[in-house]
Amino acid sequence: MRIWIYLFFGFFFALLAFASWKSYRRNRSAEEFMLAGKSIGPILGFLTFSAALFSAFTFMGMPDFFRNNGIGAWTFLAFSDGVMVFFILWFGYHLRRNAKEKNFQGVAGLMVSSYGTKWAGIAMFTSAFVFLIPYVAIQIRGISIFLEAAFPGLLPSWVWSLVMVMVMLAYAEIGGLKAIVYSDAIQGIILLLVIWLIGGTCISAFGNVPNMFKAVEKVNASLLSTPGPNGLFTWQFLLGSMIAVVMIPVTQPQLTTRLVVIKDLASMKKMAYAVGIFAILVIAPTIFIGMYGAARYPDLPTSEFLSQALLFDQAAPVAAIAIVGLFAACLSTTNAQIFALGNELRSLLTGNEKTAMRYTRIALFVFAAIVMVFSTFMSDELVLLARVSFTGTAMMAPIVLVAVIRKGRPAKAIIVVSSIAFLTYLMSVIGIVPDHLGPMRLDLILYLFLLLLTVAIQALKPVFTG
Amino acid sequence: MKLQKRYWMICVILVVILVVLGYTPLMIPRDVYKPMLLGIPYSLWTSILGTIALVALTYIGAKVHPGSDKKETES
Repeated sequence: MRIWIYLFFGFFFALLAFASWKSYRRNRSAEEFMLAGKSIGPILGFLTFSAALFSAFTFMGMPDFFRNNGIGAWTFLAFSDGVMVFFILWFGYHLRRNAKEKNFQGVAGLMVSSYGTKWAGIAMFTSAFVFLIPYVAIQIRGISIFLEAAFPGLLPSWVWSLVMVMVMLAYAEIGGLKAIVYSDAIQGIILLLVIWLIGGTCISAFGNVPNMFKAVEKVNASLLSTPGPNGLFTWQFLLGSMIAVVMIPVTQPQLTTRLVVIKDLASMKKMAYAVGIFAILVIAPTIFIGMYGAARYPDLPTSEFLSQALLFDQAAPVAAIAIVGLFAACLSTTNAQIFALGNELRSLLTGNEKTAMRYTRIALFVFAAIVMVFSTFMSDELVLLARVSFTGTAMMAPIVLVAVIRKGRPAKAIIVVSSIAFLTYLMSVIGIVPDHLGPMRLDLILYLFLLLLTVAIQALKPVFTG
Repeated sequence: MKLQKRYWMICVILVVILVVLGYTPLMIPRDVYKPMLLGIPYSLWTSILGTIALVALTYIGAKVHPGSDKKETES
């Protein structure tokens, strides 16, 4: 298998090097480096958006989520993604209109100019920082689990994480966002190919799809319905997840930025439904891998199940391409997120562009180092950690939505209200505040609180401002 | 343009209906996995069909959305 691994890695790195070199010659100005000259076409646009959205968490987290919690995982992610892509049509139009008016450099910067206070930008940057760092660390953790299994005893997992972070930084430093977009395109194609190859193998182990579900029925029939064996997929959990997923393009800067850097509105609309199709295609095989695991390896820990299903039960070339595919998935998503954090910071910096870029580049290294440290003690619950990240940033959605929809200056009270919701959710994550109030989940209560207060604040704004 | 706005509103209404149905016992009944379709459990095939419908509505929505590049620049 090692020969296949070297062969595929060689090919993958050659593609990355080519894309990096191509991007390096073109990217000179800060805007071209950080925002790819805002000239991404629809195909690259949909591949980069999809690759930033679907990552190690899809590849490794979703099969394990299906295996442990059952078929409700489809509603959790795929159905939510369906709502999200429709929402992009509406949100993307308003966002791009605003971005043009205010010369978009980053979401945080856009909020500063919309609200007329730096606190709006600081709030956005803080939420992205607090919840993206664990999310990026999840990806690194995912690939190190996998590489440790592929090369047992060769390197400890933290060294794998370090290698990953170094490649990512080198690549981003050379090519900027354009290089990341190219790498996303490569990764998106590899991810789709690999996940179907593995999914196909998993189905063929049972002969066909009905037999696969029959096998699962014999092992644990509660996996075939909601809320699943652990009672996770209640309507409240699924609804809260849907809201968090729909808010991803609003509050996760790596995806918001991708809506702006697409060259025109028509391309962005094409991107929206293409991402929807990609979501269905990429999540469907994770059902097969998860159900295969539920029938064959119901009691194995996450890392052993993934090693078995994605690696040892596959033919050597498929296992080798799975390793490369996962590495690529992890690389592009983490790159996108760390780069987005850097861009957010840059959009908050004022003064000389050269100095701002220097600080941004230093910040990229600092963010990567923090991620590296986090990744060494992340748990294996990839999907639930991702959900925490989506929900945490979603608390800041009113700040962006009001700024983007309203033509005038939004009320500053929205920053305060969103920040309170954000801090409350953060406290619930670390256990200071309960995650339920009576029978209701805290995230749903916070969404309702945000909706009502945002509407009330905007309605009462003329009363206070005269 | 008026007609386009109407079609867009129809898409929005259909998406809202689908979303509401998606989280009711109609699509995710508790502990029920029959009737199966092509061997696929009930909540899974209904959710898959719901997702396909959402993506189809996104495709139609992209065609009829009243926003344009010209409007983007004008505003």
